[in-house]
Amino acid sequence: METRYLLRKDHLLPLLRRLQKGHRLVAPARNRHGDTFYAEVRDLDRFHLDLDTPPQESAKRFFLPQQEVLFTYRTDGPEGYGFSPVVAPSPPTVYFGLRPCDLTAILYTDLVLLKERRDPGYQRRRQEAVLIALGCSRPRASCFCNATKSGPFLDFGYDLQLTDLGDRFFVEVGRARGRQLVEDWHPFFAEAGEEDVKAQYQVALEAAGSFERSVDLDLAVRALADHGGSDALWAELASRCQGCGGCAFLCPTCTCYTLRDQCLGPSHGERLRCWDACTLAGFTRMAGGHNPADPGRDVLRRRFEHKLRDSVRQHGRPSCVGCGRCVGSCFGGVDMLMAIERLAGEAEPPEEGV
Amino acid sequence: MAGLATAFGSGAMTNSINEIEEAELILVAGSNTTEAHPQVGRRILQAVDRGARLIVIDPRLTALAARAHVHLALRPGTDIPLLNGMMRCMLDDNLADDLFIEMRTENFHALRDMLYRLDLDQVAAATGVELQSIRRAARLYAKARKAVLCYCLGVTQHVCGTANVETYANLALLAGKLEKEHTGVDPLRGQNNVQGACDMGALPGVLPGYQSVHDLAARGKFEAAWRTPLPAEPGLSLLDMTHGGPEGPVRGMLVVGENPMLSDPDLARVEETLRSLDCLAVSDIFLTETAALADVVFPAACFAEKTGTFTSSERRVQMVRQAVAPPGECRGDGDLVMALAGRMGVPFADASPAEVMEEIALLTPLYGGIYHDRLEEGWGLQWPCPDRSHPGTPFLHKGAFTRGRGRFVPTVHVPPAEQPDGDFPFTLITGRVYHHYHTGTMTRRCAALDRECREAVLEMNGGDAAALAIRAGERVRLVSRRGSLTLRAAVTGRMGPGQVYTSFHFTEAAVNRLLGAARDPSSHCPEYKVCAVRVEKVA
Repeated sequence: METRYLLRKDHLLPLLRRLQKGHRLVAPARNRHGDTFYAEVRDLDRFHLDLDTPPQESAKRFFLPQQEVLFTYRTDGPEGYGFSPVVAPSPPTVYFGLRPCDLTAILYTDLVLLKERRDPGYQRRRQEAVLIALGCSRPRASCFCNATKSGPFLDFGYDLQLTDLGDRFFVEVGRARGRQLVEDWHPFFAEAGEEDVKAQYQVALEAAGSFERSVDLDLAVRALADHGGSDALWAELASRCQGCGGCAFLCPTCTCYTLRDQCLGPSHGERLRCWDACTLAGFTRMAGGHNPADPGRDVLRRRFEHKLRDSVRQHGRPSCVGCGRCVGSCFGGVDMLMAIERLAGEAEPPEEGV
Repeated sequence: MAGLATAFGSGAMTNSINEIEEAELILVAGSNTTEAHPQVGRRILQAVDRGARLIVIDPRLTALAARAHVHLALRPGTDIPLLNGMMRCMLDDNLADDLFIEMRTENFHALRDMLYRLDLDQVAAATGVELQSIRRAARLYAKARKAVLCYCLGVTQHVCGTANVETYANLALLAGKLEKEHTGVDPLRGQNNVQGACDMGALPGVLPGYQSVHDLAARGKFEAAWRTPLPAEPGLSLLDMTHGGPEGPVRGMLVVGENPMLSDPDLARVEETLRSLDCLAVSDIFLTETAALADVVFPAACFAEKTGTFTSSERRVQMVRQAVAPPGECRGDGDLVMALAGRMGVPFADASPAEVMEEIALLTPLYGGIYHDRLEEGWGLQWPCPDRSHPGTPFLHKGAFTRGRGRFVPTVHVPPAEQPDGDFPFTLITGRVYHHYHTGTMTRRCAALDRECREAVLEMNGGDAAALAIRAGERVRLVSRRGSLTLRAAVTGRMGPGQVYTSFHFTEAAVNRLLGAARDPSSHCPEYKVCAVRVEKVA
């Protein structure tokens, strides 16, 4: 078994400061309004590192920017019409304090964007990433990563995984880059003893027992694979959807995009890739106005079928990581938790004697 | 505004938006809440999920109406007979809150006498709503312990808008559904800061904080602070100005962040008026239809480029902080007014937004304790907030109404200015769509929203469409007594027979060219919700 280590909290900032010398550093920060987001660390001493609150957004935008220039074009170049690809810089980056759900989302996105036709921008950013997870000792009210098997602590996938043990972090090494990091900065890490292993086990055990919501994802997945949801269920969900796209934009594993050409002058411009969402009518509407996805019926069916059925078929796991971000954000309350509960409810046989 | 001020003494939401979640009954009138106020709509949906009852009063089968326990699909413009009918049912079932009426209200006898003269069969005939549904709604509303009444422009944008509001206030007073948490009367404001603009006296007859120009002491206070005499009579209403015509009373106009060339009724008259002005200046962030007619256009700073406060529907004053510098020659509203005053020979002392807020606190009792430093942390402050130690007021009229006692104002049916007839057999209702905001100055310039909703459509009932041989998606001509336009037809179950609906966001199909200038005599709010039209196939 891989050696486990301890990192005293006193030594965290000094370690981050050293990591920052060779890397860009991204970590959860609390802003002046009390909201926590993953953010790039510029000045570590003025950075309000927040390891207690799960960030409001995932780390998706660091790997897939909301808007990305793919290439520029000129109509008056030396050879007439010409294109030049735009390669945004992708410096080596340490992502510190990634929540297990967010890290699992990155691993899932790898399956989508790196398996067959590789996405060059994503690949560059992904190759330069060191992923340091922070296990969730206190899941939020809307979290359900226990059901999606993406938390509150991970078994694999991280370079390093930290567990908060009060005055120190318990450090598990997952991949080669994590091992390298510990070797490079060895003085910061002490070997963990038997007591520490027990303490970490206790924290993980308590975290696993502290989820407020309990949903049966497997049952919902099976129901969807076997017979799909009922028409009444999809109609009810669709009637509550406002088509704002918020669920997809917040979702750590939603990667759909649209392309837009932006004219910057009479003879030049750029092609942008922007986030898009399948709940928007314009996502599938044809030029003549016909929409093959009936907004009154299909708008959320497509989303949940993709997440809970098609992803399983293609990649062997649902593309929901149980982060619960769609739960608080939906105007109509038609979030993943509601869908799972309704689908699982339809899978169960009717009670006898009713 | 005027209606609630008469009844309660204050024209704003009596509750906070979050209180709606805990209500046991929600009555929604003239509001397509899930589309127009999604943040309020989500709380209504949550309350209904938890078991709250929902009553919707709306001619259209909106998303909320489809979910309602009782949907009263009234004929447009018949709120007053419908509500009077509900109140009569409450009296008949002995469901009025007698103790509340005795302790907290006045003029009940006038209302009671009027209600006892009411013929309920005539109510059903006038409104097109079955008596049984009216009675059911009355019982649900009166019996609920915590009942919120939300209304919006479907109530106010009528020739009898003020009387409509007074009638809804009567209903709440009669049932004693006021003065408590999770219980009240809540007009939903359509813009981030329209409450704030009203609070600051952007109304013809009041100084900031609804202090009347007729109030000598209040006027004296402002005259002393501003060192200038102030008019003792109310100014002109919006339509008095934009419908004044070539001989109108106003010769020069400064329009700030408003687009009357799309938003006001009878656009031909508006255009004639604006073109005849000696000077038109417009301040906006984009070149609007109105700005295109201007002699001078001031490029304005947008919300992200200025510091100040917005006051939301629930009377909550919140900080807006400058995030980026205004581009080019753009400037904030305060800067612009001060610079203009200087050029007009009345130099204002240079004042920061925080200093302006201090002046507001000094002169406006509702805002007496609201200062920028108190807004830095937390979630703003809800007025009334009379002093620095006051925590703000989540719900109004606790213990007593602002005006003392809640006043019953008996009202009688006022038919819409224009009724459908042989030449114009349809009733046109105008409103908004989910994806666009007001005249589209911002939202129509956004690629994603433009992709979602690119043009105006005319929603009509399947039976009406079939009778005219109109297919869904076909272009049709919409004609009123004042003009015509073409747009695409959408055949939908949302509309009742004889009614059509479209939105006013689109300059290519500016529906306000069709609307008349009829308006409420008290609030001067135009009748946007009823217009007689006909629908023609485009050859």
